[in-house]
Amino acid sequence: MSGFDVLVAGGGIVGMTAALDLAREGRSVIIVDEGRHSGTTANAGSLHIQMQSRFIRMYPEQVADLERSLPLYPAGAARWRELEAELGADLEIKSSGGLMVADDAGQFAFLADKCARERRLGLDVHMLERAELARIAPYLGEAVHGAELCVEEGKLNPLKANEAIRTTLQALGVQRLDETVITALSPAGHGIEARLSHRGGQRSLSAGQVILAAGSGTGQLAAMLGVTIPTVAEPLHVNVTEATAPLIGHLVQHAERMITMKQLGAGQVVIGGGWPARFTGPEEFPTVDPASMIGNLSLAQHIVPRLGSLRVIRTWAGVNTTTDGQCVLGKLPGHDNVFSAVPGDAGYTLGPLVGRMAAALAMGRDPGHDIARFTPARFG
Amino acid sequence: MSGRLTITFEDRTIGAFPGQSLGAALAASGELALRHTAGGDCRGMFCGMGVCQDCLVTVDGAPNQRACMVKVADGMVVRRQAAPGETPPARVGAAPILFENLQTVTADVLVIGGGAGGLSAALAARSCGLDVLLLDERQTAGGQYYKQPSAALKAEPLDRQQRDGAALRQRCEGAGVRIIDGAETFAALDAGSVMATHAGRTAVYRARAMVIATGAYERAVPIPGWTLPGVMTTGALQTLWRSHRALPGRRILIAGNGPLNLQVACEVMAAGADVVAVAEAAALFAPARAGAALRMVLHDPALTATGLALMARARLGGATLHFGAVARGISAVEGGLEVELGSATGGHGERFVVDAVALGYGFQPSNELLRALGARHDYDPGIRALRTVRTRECETTVPNLFAVGDACGLGGAPAALAEGEIAGLAIAERLGARSPAGVSADAAHRRLEGHRRFQAALWRLYDAPSPRLSLADDATLICRCEEVSKAALLAAMADGEPSIGAVKRRTRAGMGRCQGRYCGPLIAAHLAEETGRPLDERALFAPRAPVKPVTISDLVGGSAP
Ligand SMILES: Cc1cc2nc3c(=O)[nH]c(=O)nc-3n(C[C@H](O)[C@H](O)[C@H](O)COP(=O)(O)OP(=O)(O)OC[C@H]3O[C@@H](n4cnc5c(N)ncnc54)[C@H](O)[C@@H]3O)c2cc1C
Ligand SMILES: Cc1cc2nc3c(=O)[nH]c(=O)nc-3n(C[C@H](O)[C@H](O)[C@H](O)COP(=O)(O)OP(=O)(O)OC[C@H]3O[C@@H](n4cnc5c(N)ncnc54)[C@H](O)[C@@H]3O)c2cc1C
Ligand code: FES
Repeated sequence: MSGFDVLVAGGGIVGMTAALDLAREGRSVIIVDEGRHSGTTANAGSLHIQMQSRFIRMYPEQVADLERSLPLYPAGAARWRELEAELGADLEIKSSGGLMVADDAGQFAFLADKCARERRLGLDVHMLERAELARIAPYLGEAVHGAELCVEEGKLNPLKANEAIRTTLQALGVQRLDETVITALSPAGHGIEARLSHRGGQRSLSAGQVILAAGSGTGQLAAMLGVTIPTVAEPLHVNVTEATAPLIGHLVQHAERMITMKQLGAGQVVIGGGWPARFTGPEEFPTVDPASMIGNLSLAQHIVPRLGSLRVIRTWAGVNTTTDGQCVLGKLPGHDNVFSAVPGDAGYTLGPLVGRMAAALAMGRDPGHDIARFTPARFG
Repeated sequence: MSGRLTITFEDRTIGAFPGQSLGAALAASGELALRHTAGGDCRGMFCGMGVCQDCLVTVDGAPNQRACMVKVADGMVVRRQAAPGETPPARVGAAPILFENLQTVTADVLVIGGGAGGLSAALAARSCGLDVLLLDERQTAGGQYYKQPSAALKAEPLDRQQRDGAALRQRCEGAGVRIIDGAETFAALDAGSVMATHAGRTAVYRARAMVIATGAYERAVPIPGWTLPGVMTTGALQTLWRSHRALPGRRILIAGNGPLNLQVACEVMAAGADVVAVAEAAALFAPARAGAALRMVLHDPALTATGLALMARARLGGATLHFGAVARGISAVEGGLEVELGSATGGHGERFVVDAVALGYGFQPSNELLRALGARHDYDPGIRALRTVRTRECETTVPNLFAVGDACGLGGAPAALAEGEIAGLAIAERLGARSPAGVSADAAHRRLEGHRRFQAALWRLYDAPSPRLSLADDATLICRCEEVSKAALLAAMADGEPSIGAVKRRTRAGMGRCQGRYCGPLIAAHLAEETGRPLDERALFAPRAPVKPVTISDLVGGSAP
């Protein structure tokens, strides 16, 4: 097995959608995916557009960069809608709006300020006072004082999306090696040679180009080529309730506290928003932290009191990738045939757009957005 | 039994006895169809022990209550659970709390599960002067062997088994073990602490050492019609009678593999049921099994004699006994359920029309808390399940975390009793407590060895290949909760060499309320056979909190004021 046009390192949403564009243009593509630390198989399916307050609170120094990246998010959501049509599958994409709720006048003022800045950047956002909010979101409890509504926000079903993309890639003849780790990358002739390990067995393959779409594993792969990309693996917790009749129509977040909530088509409510999970064992498998159940779900019930009568039936842990909040997208310094493709925050929302831009770079085409700021060279 | 009370189910008024479960009261009145599924089917009680989540009803407006676990109360208004159901209105939620705000309850030793193993561990540790706290999710601790009826039922013990259970519990209470009934442990935090809900509140329970004694649940063998109301596990049928003095109808057929089926046949016959047939997959009287039978007689003549007496009693009661036979399919017909018997490899056999069918194919350890804490488990082909790796003193690979009874390897009640005593005494020694003069674990170790030899011979006698998915047809649901058919599952499993996690994400199998307890082992075994994946801990769904669904308001209900 050797001689592919493009090796895609990492089979998450970015790697898969990059492979999709490349294969459609006739490139021979192979995806190699370890599958241990993945955001794509574990994410909560929110289509984020407005700035998440958690980042503003946790990384105030990143706000300026976040604001500059903001226009990418509506484009990311639009790319998802296009992709749904191209795949001819129902991904349960809903742009029913996202509410960021405030508990008191202080938080409301914080949101009003954020809302004004986001409007200037072109987002369709509005502030809603209590009475108007109660009309469009009667499920919210009395503790909610008001909210910022972002009209284009919404959700999709990642299980359906991932599966539809996987089978489409299969039909296009894209090879995929699962449970396979790339253990070494080195330049070889005009291409790149990769060493792979699969359930204890070793082998290698070569490709003309490589796209590093390995999420939190990207830093390690880039280091093999002498380049620094400071990706950090962040284990996060998600809760799911049993199904209930339609209750929560929006993507719901909070102005100050970590939470995202939405209801799936089949009726389950998915509650996440960045509560920590943890790693266990020598292989650092992500596992849930039961303490996160308490904090996250009690907050959910505070915002939507009717959730109190539902049971949480499942939780899971997944690995998010953080760098400096922005995408890491571009040619690796010193390597003309290797590209990094790590999405910024809310990476599932951005995934198909980032995958498309990475494929364009590999084919020597215009990615369609100004990506100079996202260069991996910025980490020196 | 004490006086009757009344409840309404849909628009019907139904009588019940105080202390009965709601499910038992409904079953005794012929109401077996309890919930609607998203796919448009009806389901009823299947496991009878809080695991399968198929018995959901709405009680006084509260959705998704397990009929098998909720006690009846006079005037209860009960409705079939719709799919998806409504959530009752509420305007004000509790103030948000953090884990740190939960109440903490401490003890020297924490025992999770109050069956034979847990009660015996608690008693042994307590007899050495330690402060012991035991949590059991049932309204009345006692576990699957002792099956204690609720005190409110005022029922006389049926036999020695129930009397022994009541006596053991009394000894524990007399000795000062703190038993908390109705406390569901939903998460393990570390070797000495868990979170549990009790009476609508959540607390953290902490101790210096912990014993997990959560027992087992019954293994699934899907056959066409196994999701119909009225089809339940043998243990569920047994629980209906032994714990609640209710029967799901008059005519009953019992099929499967293992010694419990015949025992339960006799128990419900004595209760007045008409057991029309018992099908046992193992050809018990085949000459090849004589060796195993002989070994059983040697190790425990009394228990073996009981087994033979059971067969004789079942025959006398009018049941036809079918050896080397399985239930091949069940369908709903006018006047009941029609069951077809046959051989496991094919061939159509006799048909019977009955009110209820019990399927018993042996057990699966409830080891979720142990696995979530990282205790090592190895697959044991002998029990076709993971076995907890333990020292001779029943300590797991996680220091100060002990495990006893069926939760770690399906040894039966006498073995669970012995292991409990061994673990309780070992913990006392570890914590520096003094055991009463003359007490040592030696006798328990000797008993345990005998029980293990008997159990091994019993398994050999009843050995039959597991039918796994072979009796199901394409449309038979393998994942009961998410309604995933055999055909859909096989297609997903045949595409590449997926891990069990990938199969789950492709099909939703294992994502439902029972958390993959029934379909998980079947999928793992199939993948192992088809792809050569090792059947190890990774082969099964990752064990995660909550190990049982937990009501969100209960999570918040425990904050210290
Ligand atoms: C719990 C959780 C909830 C989330 N919720 C949302 C949400 O609601 N909305 C949203 O927009 N975003 C969400 N995210 C973020 C989002 O999931 C990720 O940003 C996104 O999936 C990243 O996609 P990716 O393709 O870049 O990387 P990943 O999906 O992480 O994929 C990278 C892949 O590369 C593989 N890999 C790594 N190293 C190697 C190697 N050496 N060899 C081979 N393979 C390797 C990994 O195993 C992995 O499969 C969430 C994340 C988590 C963890
Ligand atoms: C349905 C069924 C019927 C059986 N009938 C018989 C029989 O008639 N004769 C026989 O010899 N063997 C029978 N067995 C086998 C039986 O399990 C063992 O013989 C014996 O009961 C093992 O004792 P134990 O203490 O290990 O577990 P168990 O007796 O099963 O006790 C486990 C206890 O743990 C509690 N528990 C479990 N999970 C939690 C949790 N998360 N939080 C709090 N509490 C929890 C349960 O409520 C239960 O009381 C049966 C098994 C099952 C599953
Ligand atoms: S019958 Fe109630 S949970 Fe299984």
